[in-house]
Amino acid sequence: MKPNQADVLDLLAAEFVLGTLAGAARRRFERWRDADPFVERRVRAWEDRLAGLAFQLEPVTPSPGVWVSIERQIGPVLQGRWRAVAASIAAIAVLGFGWFLWQQLRVAPPAAEAVIASKAGEALWRVELAADGEYVEVSAVGAVSYPDQRSLELWALPPEASPVSLGLMPASGRLRLVLDERQRAAVGLAANVAVSEEPLGGSPTGAPTGPVLYVAAIART
Amino acid sequence: MAGLLAACARQDRQAFQRLYEMTSSQLLACLMRILRNRALAEDALQDVYVQVWRQAIRFERGRGSSWAWLIAIARYRAIDLQRRERRLAAGSSDDIAEMAADEEPHDSLMALGHHAAAALDGCLAALQSRQRDCILLSYQNGMTHAEVADQIGEPLGSVKSWIRRGLTALRRCLES
Repeated sequence: MKPNQADVLDLLAAEFVLGTLAGAARRRFERWRDADPFVERRVRAWEDRLAGLAFQLEPVTPSPGVWVSIERQIGPVLQGRWRAVAASIAAIAVLGFGWFLWQQLRVAPPAAEAVIASKAGEALWRVELAADGEYVEVSAVGAVSYPDQRSLELWALPPEASPVSLGLMPASGRLRLVLDERQRAAVGLAANVAVSEEPLGGSPTGAPTGPVLYVAAIART
Repeated sequence: MAGLLAACARQDRQAFQRLYEMTSSQLLACLMRILRNRALAEDALQDVYVQVWRQAIRFERGRGSSWAWLIAIARYRAIDLQRRERRLAAGSSDDIAEMAADEEPHDSLMALGHHAAAALDGCLAALQSRQRDCILLSYQNGMTHAEVADQIGEPLGSVKSWIRRGLTALRRCLES
């Protein structure tokens, strides 16, 4: 009996999850999974089925430095989180990352900023580009009304080019968005930033898909 | 735990830290078994959680258990790294002895994961021993068909068919 196509796909999904699908075939299948929700569901189902095998392994507690590095990579929590800041500082001190401390305490004026305001003119967020151009920091400064089950996404609008996503807007507090090369170039060229409403998690396409709610001019300092 | 992931998707840092505290030791175990080197595994663990933080939203889009989603991210990362390393150089120091567990964070969350594991254990036990061995070697150690064949000293063709039949039987058993 010849296996039908669905069976073949399911077996491929199983071998992808297991890891025995290797090399070019693995990369091809990965792209297929990313592009096709049907394939992704089959993969998810196998991930669920086999996850129990991971619990046969004895847990191993990570070194404290791992969490410190993770926090560093996703950006610090600055507002009203003294406890977390103190904990990171302590861990960093123990690890001897003096330079990181210095970076935390360093105060450099932003290279550029934009204030995103409501139609009534009330400031909602301040977006600041770090002096070294490595990240932007978005602070909610007004009463932000965040749509339920939706995300607000920040875009740089370089002239005569497509908008480039910089990340999701915080509903409150301050959020640091570390920029990659493409984002840095777009921010460097852009005269404006915009905020669009997107599905939860941000635009699935890489371009704005929902209504553009706000546009603000970038002031270089 | 799905609630914690949903909170991460809303950029809730405290929820993220709790998720890390509850799950990181199990993920590190998966990474160490595949990468066989603690430093490498801890580097990978960082990447995994940065990815979890950035993609927590994707979890909600699909269905499935949150444990399975986290474990999958960790295993894929480890498998990619391990195969890249192998292409670069043959042989590396074997830190697997370091895998001694120093703690048992058995809260209700762990219980949840173990509960799912219990159903799987029953079905695994029902497999032929060769099928079971091959599936465990590839899942837990991240081995390819050829590496499994090497490890157990059986022909590649047999290993391939044991794995396929084992997977099909597992699925049937878990769905019954």
